[in-house]
Amino acid sequence: MSADRSGRVLRSWKATVHRVVAMVHRIIGAPDYESYLAHMHRKYPGCTPLDARAFEKQRLIDRYKQPGSRCC
Amino acid sequence: MSSLPSRLMRQVPWIAIAMLGAGALATVALNKGETISAAWLLTAAVCTYLIAYRFYSRFIASNIFGLDATRATPAERLEDGRDYVPTNKWIVFGHHFAAIAGPGPLVGPTLAAQFGFLPGALWILVGVVLGGAVQDFVILCASIRRDGKSLGQMAKEEIGPVAGSVALVSILGIMIILISVLALVVVNALRDSPWGTVTIGLSIPIAMLMGVYLRWIRPGAVLEATAGGLVLLFLSLYAGKWVSESATWAPVFTLSGVTLSVSIMVYGFFASVLPVWMLLAPRDYLSAFVKIGVVLALGVGIIVVLPDMEMPPVTKFIDGSGPVFSGKLFPFVFVTIACGAISGFHALISSGTTPKLLRREPDARLIGYGSMLTESLVATMALIAACVLTPGIYFAINSPAAVIGTTAMSAADVINGWGLFKTISAADLELLARQVGENSLLSRTGGAPSLAVGMAHLFSRALGGEAAMSLWYHFAIMFEALFILTTLDAGTRVGRFMLQDLLGQVYKPLGRVSWYPAVVICSALFVSMWGYFLYQGVTDPLGGINSLWPLFGISNQLLATVALCVGTTVIVKMGKAKFAWVTILPLTWLVIVTSTAGTLKIFSSDPKLGFLSHARLIEGQIAAGTLPGTISEAAAARMIFNDRLDAGVAAFFLAAVVVILTASIMEWLKVINGSKVAVSSETPYVRTQLVGEG
Repeated sequence: MSADRSGRVLRSWKATVHRVVAMVHRIIGAPDYESYLAHMHRKYPGCTPLDARAFEKQRLIDRYKQPGSRCC
Repeated sequence: MSSLPSRLMRQVPWIAIAMLGAGALATVALNKGETISAAWLLTAAVCTYLIAYRFYSRFIASNIFGLDATRATPAERLEDGRDYVPTNKWIVFGHHFAAIAGPGPLVGPTLAAQFGFLPGALWILVGVVLGGAVQDFVILCASIRRDGKSLGQMAKEEIGPVAGSVALVSILGIMIILISVLALVVVNALRDSPWGTVTIGLSIPIAMLMGVYLRWIRPGAVLEATAGGLVLLFLSLYAGKWVSESATWAPVFTLSGVTLSVSIMVYGFFASVLPVWMLLAPRDYLSAFVKIGVVLALGVGIIVVLPDMEMPPVTKFIDGSGPVFSGKLFPFVFVTIACGAISGFHALISSGTTPKLLRREPDARLIGYGSMLTESLVATMALIAACVLTPGIYFAINSPAAVIGTTAMSAADVINGWGLFKTISAADLELLARQVGENSLLSRTGGAPSLAVGMAHLFSRALGGEAAMSLWYHFAIMFEALFILTTLDAGTRVGRFMLQDLLGQVYKPLGRVSWYPAVVICSALFVSMWGYFLYQGVTDPLGGINSLWPLFGISNQLLATVALCVGTTVIVKMGKAKFAWVTILPLTWLVIVTSTAGTLKIFSSDPKLGFLSHARLIEGQIAAGTLPGTISEAAAARMIFNDRLDAGVAAFFLAAVVVILTASIMEWLKVINGSKVAVSSETPYVRTQLVGEG
């Protein structure tokens, strides 16, 4: 019972950390592979999505290509 | 329907804020003689922002765009898990703010402090409320309604192809000037400073280490890598201190301005050529945290200490005789402070990544208008940090050697000779330099060092006392240089892509981004473009900031002119011409300011101000054989060429303003007099399928 409860607390704590990390990633503009995967599964269940490394590479290249992502 | 009394009750807090703000502003503006606390200025600013956000941004949102929570945004309609992702509004706010905030709002207000704190403070407040925040917001709304199109695309489609091409070429020109002036700020902060040089130099291998970690050891663990990187950065701060105290190593890292410029150019070249994951991306992560850290630290420092403003509200230098940069209050305070009041560059971001993230249309108000108000608050705090320094010290740091000489004695004599401020002694200047761990702080022009001294002054009063001053100073320098260099390296890469795009039209292979020779040639070409201006600035006896910062301000305001022309055209074509004054008002002001400033920089008969008259002055000195002993004839010839080049650059920016403005006005008149049907190019309404709050 107690082990079960502490397991639940740990899980919810982990989930919170996970959410915060995802939020900070988005703010600083790091590639968000999980959202991409979720999106691909939802919209195109039949297709194979890019793997994590290919996705990150492509996102980073795109980001530093146009002047729309940074300022003085 | 709520009753009249309850509606009135709801306005009570706003009336209180308005009265508090007006009272604080009156205290700041009408105070005569006595020093006042920075708290007044901060209160006036915050109240102004609250009122403007509550009333003016709402007016624009509902009367012009009719922002509609039921209308699906591009993020929803075009969701692709990459660029288009519906995102919580506070996350978008953070993302947008981190993208728009850079060194601009810190440096501009620091330089403008030579006029006293009042002119800069008023322009920052009025400029942001009626200009900067309006521009960012309007462009964001226009882009959201057009599937997230960029400013360049909108200029082409709304105004016409000529305006579109001029806008693109101007953006390239602006990037060259921007990068060179930012690089100059870093060079002036690090020249002859082994501590700073080592600390900043180490940030490059630290970023590469993070890159390797993210690539091979723990892919995707960005926060872990960044935390490790930040720890290493703090260690490098101590490494720098150690080097600066070592008799063997200190001379090795005491670099001249020219050596530093060449190093920065080499760095920029590699940042543009190397894969992004290796250097650019990890530096950017570090820089995002550091940026937010500086802003928070500055805010906490000011609020805890609530310092008095040592600088008078207005100085004699509004007459144009100032040592930091030449030119009278009008128009130069409006060009010197661009970011923080109105910055055209933001229009690129409001029409770049941001519009593709908004989950609901009404969020645009917080993100477009609200983020810019926050940046303006940063500018106000930078102004405060510059004005809490003893004025004599501020001028000793920010005046070029040509004005104050090269020794503490000569600097104190010149500054005391003005008879304007509390007298300072050579010993004061030497003591301060020792306290912050530098050999000398004289003529470290560019704003970053005096801001760092201001911050060190605040922080050490809040925490650690005078013993901690040198650490705080280098801490501030490290932070500033870190995010300036991140603008520089990412900007160089973007510039390389733009150049490849442009040259690809002439010779196809040069446009291929996967062809290595093209990448190398275009990177080298772009680096040498800004590198030339940087070198010119470093070797300029007047310190370079004097000629480059106004050029940067003019070019940034030119971009704002383009953005406001696009905004006005969009509003007119929506059939909302009666509200077009919202963008025409700041547009008119900017056109007056940029054309006056540009014309003065080119044609003024005062050689300190006008490029051409300065060239004539040197020509005359060569002919008469009266060149100052320190300047060789070859150097003089180079100065003449540089003056003419700078005049040419200013003339190009002015011509661009005329072309874009003329094309826009013709378009508006056609719509208003009915010879062209007002067709809005907005994407048609689609009802949102998203439920609940974002």
